[in-house]
Amino acid sequence: MLEKRSAPETHEPAAPLISVRGVSKSFGTNRVLKKIDLDVYPQEVVVIIGPSGSGKSTLLRCLNLLETVDEGEIVVDGVRLTDPKTDVDAVRRELGMVFQHFHLFPHMTVLENLILAPMKVRRRPRDAAVADARELLRKVGLADKEDAYPDALSGGQQQRVAIARALMMKPKAMLFDEPTSALDPEMVKEVLDVMKSLAREGMTMVVVTHEMGFAREVGDRVVFMDQGEIVEVGTPEAIFSRPQNPRTQTFLSKIL
Amino acid sequence: MLDLLDFRPEIIWNYRELFIRGVYYTFILSVAGVAIGLVIGLFAGMAKLSRRAWLRVPAVVYIEFFRGTPLFVQILLIHFAVLPTLLGKAQSPIVSGIVALAVNSGAYIAEIFRAGIQSIARGQMEAARSLGLSHAQAMRYVILPQALRRMIPPLGNEFLIVLKDSSLLSAIAVPELANAGRIVNGALQRPWEAFLTVLVLYLILSLVLSALIHRLEGRLSAGRSG
Ligand SMILES: Nc1ncnc2c1ncn2[C@@H]1O[C@H](COP(=O)(O)OP(=O)(O)O)[C@@H](O)[C@H]1O
Ligand SMILES: [Mg+2]
Repeated sequence: MLEKRSAPETHEPAAPLISVRGVSKSFGTNRVLKKIDLDVYPQEVVVIIGPSGSGKSTLLRCLNLLETVDEGEIVVDGVRLTDPKTDVDAVRRELGMVFQHFHLFPHMTVLENLILAPMKVRRRPRDAAVADARELLRKVGLADKEDAYPDALSGGQQQRVAIARALMMKPKAMLFDEPTSALDPEMVKEVLDVMKSLAREGMTMVVVTHEMGFAREVGDRVVFMDQGEIVEVGTPEAIFSRPQNPRTQTFLSKIL
Repeated sequence: MLDLLDFRPEIIWNYRELFIRGVYYTFILSVAGVAIGLVIGLFAGMAKLSRRAWLRVPAVVYIEFFRGTPLFVQILLIHFAVLPTLLGKAQSPIVSGIVALAVNSGAYIAEIFRAGIQSIARGQMEAARSLGLSHAQAMRYVILPQALRRMIPPLGNEFLIVLKDSSLLSAIAVPELANAGRIVNGALQRPWEAFLTVLVLYLILSLVLSALIHRLEGRLSAGRSG
């Protein structure tokens, strides 16, 4: 069992690191997000669950400005993303993103994947970036893979590299979009273990996942989304053991 | 048939300097044309993918115009009309020839770049942007290096086409290979010796070029496993 950090209530006086207010988003006539409100506090792990197509990925992508929102406001670390004058690249480098399909750069070695952004974006000298990269690779258990190309690695190894690559930018928060959904079952644990150790170190995380065990163990709060709405928010205990909303109950009865 | 049986190799030898000069100019014009065409094609191809209409529309017009009209007439227009009007006086056939091959191949190469860039999964750009790289940095370090590998075969193909199409430049008296054939035949009325020699020389150039492209392809794909 993880040593849980303080309950989210104690964070309340602190300003949220990520604040979403009344955000709506449509693709054509398809209203994918409907007036979403969500705060994520520093060091908090928020797990988003919900059926496929409910808008979970779109919400994460809005936080990283991979999608633009139609309406509402998103503030990350005091910067209003929805302000047209905001420097998109500056916001993005403060948020690490981990994708379902890893998206490692296949023409670069593991080490090159890791040092590219720190060198080009943060102007970090190569030696320093390489030192950081080796430390992170050790942390995710891939110290011996720095010269490998991504397609020589297993899915679980690739995803751990992708996490290390995102961490290289020293982000203020990490966003995970179904990081284990594309993995063979035997590789899920190695990725979740890396995520757990990140959570233990106090990384602020927003995680979309179907791994309910992870949500229970690591999540400070669980958000249930359905049809573009946040239907219910609560502690893992509250959501999984005593869901209040019938839609949450239906969803959980299907997957648990 | 009698002409062919009477084939006189010494004619080739006697005109060797003309043929060698022809090979030289064919090679130089093709390389220069494709080299400039690559630069034009890179920008036109990326402009065609731009969301901004003021970049995209001119790129599409340029590409469609040069792909949709005959190179032969483009050469005449550029040599006799466009360059004299733009620069105040006629340019040498060699300059006009390079310009014509460059803008023509640029249009085809633009399509090769566009297809190459689009063949790289959208997730690559998103992953690069999510790390804070700008659009230009993501293109330069992530998308283009991958696209380039896939573009080597079609680019090599385009190079071969330019090499052969440069023969059209004989219409404006560029001293390239086809022109050498016309001069020899004009002087001696010996079409077999003149034009068959020219074709064999084109074939040798093509084969050498194909072999070089093949090696380049091999070298680039050796960079990574699988
Ligand atoms: N780029 C897009 N263009 C059009 N529709 C999209 C796009 N991305 C997602 N959608 C639609 O938005 C809805 C929510 O998708 P998504 O956020 O991926 O859901 P989830 O991650 O919860 O499965 C779906 O109906 C999906 O088809
Ligand atoms: Mg999704």
